[in-house]
Amino acid sequence: MIIDHPLLGPRDAAEFVYLGDACLIDRPDPGDENAARLFHDYLHIRDNPAGEHRELWFHEHGDRSWLVVTRNTLTHEIVRVELARDVALARGRDR
Amino acid sequence: MPDWKLSARAPLDGHERNIGTVAVAEVTDLALVSAAVPRGGDEAFAAALAGGFGATRPVTGDSTLGNRHAARVLGMQPDQVFILFAPPDPDRPAGTVAAALASAAYVTDQSDSWVILRMTGAGVRTALERICPLDLDDRVFPLHRVARTAMEHLSVIVLRDGADSFLLMSPRSSARSFRHAVELSLEHVSE
Repeated sequence: MIIDHPLLGPRDAAEFVYLGDACLIDRPDPGDENAARLFHDYLHIRDNPAGEHRELWFHEHGDRSWLVVTRNTLTHEIVRVELARDVALARGRDR
Repeated sequence: MPDWKLSARAPLDGHERNIGTVAVAEVTDLALVSAAVPRGGDEAFAAALAGGFGATRPVTGDSTLGNRHAARVLGMQPDQVFILFAPPDPDRPAGTVAAALASAAYVTDQSDSWVILRMTGAGVRTALERICPLDLDDRVFPLHRVARTAMEHLSVIVLRDGADSFLLMSPRSSARSFRHAVELSLEHVSE
């Protein structure tokens, strides 16, 4: 499998480590009055789509960047690769 | 004063070997220092790099040459560069970089943590294509290009510093395994 890194171009999947669903970017606010339930969902509740899935990959043997990879779980086709930093900034995070 | 003194030892004791058309030689006269750019400090860092080493900041995956200390700046990741240079004081390379960059970066001496091999010769890409997952074709990986990857499960930084010349940097702790992997690949293509 080849991941087309936004900065570095196509790189072998062996250089990367998989973390999990990209929803991990949206960590709940510990100060929220529903924090216990939100963190329960954040930790344990996942969609399991047959089709496009957004997931976090770490380029460990590379530039050490976190990526959001959109992969089709039926075909393994990778349709989009973004820097997780850019995704987080676009969602209003400060870094 | 004690009547003994410690002397530095290179990871592979200055190993050199020719296999087929390729020469493998350990590089022992260069220091390697990482410089991480503080958040929001891009402009100050660029100015410090220009002043201290006469170099521009490379984008990730590229490297630039400076006109002081024979420096080469390697763009390793978005907020970090490695600086490969001839240290005026081999025992304190980080001090040289820290002084040159004047607190515009977080500096860590990496010199003694890495083994550096230079591979040169006409068959070098043929040998590397067996173990290196990067595409080293001229159009994809031209002169001055740099990348971190893994060869035989060992982390390696690959830098192209000539048409048929590559610098390979790998952790010192597995230096002999790394040399073995590289040379075995060379032996297989030179028979």
